[in-house]
Amino acid sequence: MESIANIQGLTVKYGSFTALDNLTVNVPAGCIGLLGPNGAGKTTLLKTVLGFVQPASGTATVLGHSIETEGKFIRQKIGLMPEQDCHIPGMSAVRFVAYAGELSGMPKAQALRRAHEVLEYCGLGEARYRQVETYSTGMKQRIKFAQALVHGPKLLLLDEPTNGLDPKGRDDMLELVRTVCHDKGLSAIVSSHLLPDVERTCDQVIVLMKGTVRAQGLISDLKKLQGFPVDVELREPNPNFTTEILQAGVKLISAKSASFRLLVPGNDREISKTVQACARKAGAQVRGLSRAERTLEEIFLTAVQDQNDTSHINRPIADISQSQTNEPPVITGEN
Amino acid sequence: MPNSPIADLSYRNYDGPMSPPHTRWWPIAKMSMRLAIKSKGFWIWATLSSYAYLIYMVIFYFTDSTGTASGRSNPYFTMLKWHDTFVASFTLSQLLLLIVALLIGAGSIANDNRSNALLVYLSRPVSKLDYIFGKWLGIAIPIAAIVFVPMLTYYGYCAMSYAKYGFFSQDHWIIVKIFLIPICAGIVHASLSIGISSMFNQGRIAGATYAAVYFIGYFFTVLVGQLYIGVTGIGPNQFLKNLFYCSPDGLQVGLAKVIAGTNGSEAFTGFTRHIVPRPDPWFIILLLIVVILFGFGVAWNRIRPVEIVSR
Repeated sequence: MESIANIQGLTVKYGSFTALDNLTVNVPAGCIGLLGPNGAGKTTLLKTVLGFVQPASGTATVLGHSIETEGKFIRQKIGLMPEQDCHIPGMSAVRFVAYAGELSGMPKAQALRRAHEVLEYCGLGEARYRQVETYSTGMKQRIKFAQALVHGPKLLLLDEPTNGLDPKGRDDMLELVRTVCHDKGLSAIVSSHLLPDVERTCDQVIVLMKGTVRAQGLISDLKKLQGFPVDVELREPNPNFTTEILQAGVKLISAKSASFRLLVPGNDREISKTVQACARKAGAQVRGLSRAERTLEEIFLTAVQDQNDTSHINRPIADISQSQTNEPPVITGEN
Repeated sequence: MPNSPIADLSYRNYDGPMSPPHTRWWPIAKMSMRLAIKSKGFWIWATLSSYAYLIYMVIFYFTDSTGTASGRSNPYFTMLKWHDTFVASFTLSQLLLLIVALLIGAGSIANDNRSNALLVYLSRPVSKLDYIFGKWLGIAIPIAAIVFVPMLTYYGYCAMSYAKYGFFSQDHWIIVKIFLIPICAGIVHASLSIGISSMFNQGRIAGATYAAVYFIGYFFTVLVGQLYIGVTGIGPNQFLKNLFYCSPDGLQVGLAKVIAGTNGSEAFTGFTRHIVPRPDPWFIILLLIVVILFGFGVAWNRIRPVEIVSR
């Protein structure tokens, strides 16, 4: 897969605090979610990519340019949507966005034309001549997105794009991000604490913890569990069902009230038959039977669980889980 | 179809022309100037700042038309040193120039600090130096222009009316000098403005600080001037002469005198009794360099795209 950023052994320090610790990661093209708890190094990574922060050691190339010597070329091809509100005082929205385009190197007339376009696209067409200071929080988020897009960047850096938005605004913003990244061929790195947002917009995630990569891969791969376990939901709790499935040679991974996660040998049809048979014997009524997969929250929590163990760098999340629990391998993750 | 004048609302990539990521300071300077000239206050105070030239022209007009017998020279004009009138007018306009500088310069960086605009600038192919220089130029050019325009008007009026009174013969280079004096005024105000503005998050506080610095410097200059002309008996000396020009106001007047090559004289009368002579050129140039370095140095240190919190 094409790479948009290649980071090798990057260390960034703020005084004695190490924000990025010998970070090595290859960021593929597409929409990438950057996850991590507070202080994990997400924002520092974005700022280092932009050249705001000088690394203590290591190298990185972004879109084929070195961050050490070609910062301006990188920033010309990147659009940043910062987390906090930012605008240039005293300007209307269209002037602000056009000015952002001019700063990136667009000719004035092109920048103005393009500003009208992206403001329409971002849903601010009606409000384009209003002063940005008078905008609501949701509109300010949109205009930040518009100014990031105006010069046609190859890579978008979106830091908490849904900050402060109401549910409708959040939906709209995620849809904008998703459309740009999936239909128009732009790459984006979305840094967010909101896992559903990342899940909705991104194909892949990078989980950072203490300045190192704790997990990376396609979300669909990371969600997979080894052995095709299934989730079974009964109408009501039934202790006999547990007995029956154990007698049938089915591995019980977890049981919570009327919900069970089972590892059943065989193909889909055989699994269904086995579960139905066990339920019949136990006198239970099956309400739901589906392939089990982990949520992004589980992936994230597993990745950041052991804060002291740094031996998982660049390894799939499944391996992390295995090494921590010493249980039979039940989770897989493939890149 | 969506209800919009633009039919195709889907996102399209931009593949049009892009300038190389150099000289990004020019769009910043242009925008700063555009925002400055949008303000009514700028035009009002800029116009008012030319009052001294206007008074000179009115005095000259009436003196010339009423006080001269046919065919004889007017004694008022024969005693005038023409380049002194430029310096005197420039000196009188200082306070109004300060107001213009406060209007366009005090908030130039402070307001960007408040609204996080630095993230917008510095996430583009704009370096810190591009940003500072662009802001500096965006203040220096309008101030130089509002000093230059009345000077040039005054020059044109005098050139057309008073050539026979030595307007050209007294100083052949006066046209060059009236280019240089406004540039110096622009440099001084722009340097101080960006330095002070970058220290604050609010334009008003930056403006108040700049005004305070200016007036404290002005009173200091007045005090030193009194010492120089002998009020306290210390009397004129080289040190006091140079010290007199160590304020934002004094620096500009000193530069104007050095450029014009005159010690100056009192406005309208031409008397020189209470005038501190021009400073040593090397001293005033050194002082100008210090002010420029102060402005750029403070701004350079204060402007950061990220807050670095020590841990």
